Amino acid sequence: MLSNPYINALLTVLGAVIFIVTTSLGLGYTARWIAKIRGAKARVQEGAFAGYLFAAPWIIGFFIFVLIPLCFSLYWSFTDYRVISNEPANWIGLQNYSKLLLDDDGFRQSVVNTTYLTVLGLPLQIGVALLLAVLLNQKLKGERVFRMAFYLPVILGFNTAVLLCWRLMLNTGTGIINQIIRGLSNLFPPFGYLNRSGIFIQELSSAFFLGISNSNFTLLRKVWEVGFPSEVRVPLWVQSPLWSKMPVVLLMIWGCGTMMLIFLAGLNNIPKELNEAAEVDGATKWKQFWKISFPLLSPYIFYNLVVGMINALQIFEPIFILYRDNQPLVPSAISMVYYLWQASFSHFEIGYGSAISWIILIIILIITYIQFKMQDRWVTYDLY
Amino acid sequence: MRKTVWPLIKKVTLYILLTGATLLMSFPLFWMISSSLKTIEETNSPGIIWIPKEPTFAAYNNILQNGAFIRSYANSVFFVALAMAGTLISISAVAYAFSRVKWPGRNLIFFLMLSTMMIPPQALIVPQYVLFNKLNWVGTFNPIIIPGYFAGGAAMIFLLRQSMAQIPQELDESAFMDGANHIQIWWEIIMPLMKAPLATISTFLFVGLWNSLLAPLMYLQTVDLYTLPVFVSTLYNINQTVQPWPTIMAAAVLTTVPLMVIFFFAQRFILESVVMTGLK
Repeated sequence: MLSNPYINALLTVLGAVIFIVTTSLGLGYTARWIAKIRGAKARVQEGAFAGYLFAAPWIIGFFIFVLIPLCFSLYWSFTDYRVISNEPANWIGLQNYSKLLLDDDGFRQSVVNTTYLTVLGLPLQIGVALLLAVLLNQKLKGERVFRMAFYLPVILGFNTAVLLCWRLMLNTGTGIINQIIRGLSNLFPPFGYLNRSGIFIQELSSAFFLGISNSNFTLLRKVWEVGFPSEVRVPLWVQSPLWSKMPVVLLMIWGCGTMMLIFLAGLNNIPKELNEAAEVDGATKWKQFWKISFPLLSPYIFYNLVVGMINALQIFEPIFILYRDNQPLVPSAISMVYYLWQASFSHFEIGYGSAISWIILIIILIITYIQFKMQDRWVTYDLY
Repeated sequence: MRKTVWPLIKKVTLYILLTGATLLMSFPLFWMISSSLKTIEETNSPGIIWIPKEPTFAAYNNILQNGAFIRSYANSVFFVALAMAGTLISISAVAYAFSRVKWPGRNLIFFLMLSTMMIPPQALIVPQYVLFNKLNWVGTFNPIIIPGYFAGGAAMIFLLRQSMAQIPQELDESAFMDGANHIQIWWEIIMPLMKAPLATISTFLFVGLWNSLLAPLMYLQTVDLYTLPVFVSTLYNINQTVQPWPTIMAAAVLTTVPLMVIFFFAQRFILESVVMTGLK
């Protein structure tokens, strides 16, 4: 009917605005009417009208885009619904969930990969963020410029264009990162050893995690048998299943700016008197950091840990850009949300996809709940 | 003697560390620009070429003559502008309701709104896809624009509400005395005072929309509708024997320029607000 997509979008926007305004007015008048019936004062009636009128866009949107879809997806997760076929959804009970949890390699891989990122990637990310925050907290001149430079990757982070630049830098043969590693290894032999032991440790841990997700540890045995990497070895960033998670870890470290700002806020909150008193008592800077700053920072570390975990299971863009064309690598790097997208939309299996969505939702709720519960035990709030 | 030399050494070491970290963190950006000025042979050469000896703008020429790139740029500007306008107006109306008006059920609905922050948006993509499919919106811009008009984004509402709640209530009272209604107070009195928080929210909103890949990928099914991230992702293709890296990087530079400009102007607001929400 309407071939021009821009006019189509503008007309739909107009329609949406009219819809929102009328339903908001409707909601406002209904609220006033109910208040009137309940015998409220004129002022309260006015408040009810204005409050529901102004809050209506969110209330309506909550029903249309959140609550009703959630209910439907809960229902569909117990059916074999597909959006393409015209057949109605058939109730299949817990089959989707049992298949997902017991008999789905892709899902298990995504869980293992998220665990890998949480166990190995997150500590690195948090460590770098903390280091940068401590450096910035020395209150040097030009701190603002450095802070900007460290935060910029968060803004650019997951933009496709920037990810493609990483793809270029991570090329095994001609990529700049491996060129620099090669150059440094030739210049300083100790760096070569460092690089090779890094490769060895990374490949062992990665092979271990791949072993868990395939329940087959031959790869780990092979890596172990080959032994210490030879001198010419460089990381195989975007080429080998053993390495495919490392670019994601690099991207996490690169985008640690938000965590850094949170740590910076935490460091600012530490009363100066504590450090001054410790200094008078003769404590070294090192000791001051571990005995005063670090315990007082633990709420912030914990917060970053939880948010980082939730983010790790939602990684989508890097995997799409780096591995979409290299399908054999996808399973070794896949995140839960990427798996959700792949499983739901390759065959439009809405029922199965809904089950995955609900599992992700439940996992996130559990992590958040544990955060609230653990806070009291793990975290020092009361050193003041 | 020791007292004067030691702080100097410490300061110099700190500056060296900070500068080193800055160089590392901004290296991808430098590499993107440098590669966009190279030839294909130079990007695939086995030696390191930090800065091309004879910078060429051929890659920019290439990408700017690509009609699909220009179109995707226009698409991105179009959808981001429309989505931002709707989101900003609707969330400020909702924030007004939660901060300046007393109404029955306010606390309950506010709590409900805050609890939606825990729902990851990705948990909703499957049922929302079915919804937009039923509305016949797949293959149009609507699914990536319209939800914003319904005050999408609990975190943004919360941030704005906190700022609005700090304005003294007497301001509204006196306006009421003069016969103003809520719409006038919201638009003419409260909104002009909200410039700083709105600038922060706009920046985050812009960055999120400009970078968004998953939703555009799902809903914009034809090349004509592609937004920048979707189009740029098609430039890299493993089936090509030689990747046209300079062209891809030129497209990348042009894609990130708006982000950098916005960040440059808004960084003061952003950095402070991140710290503030961290402080809670």
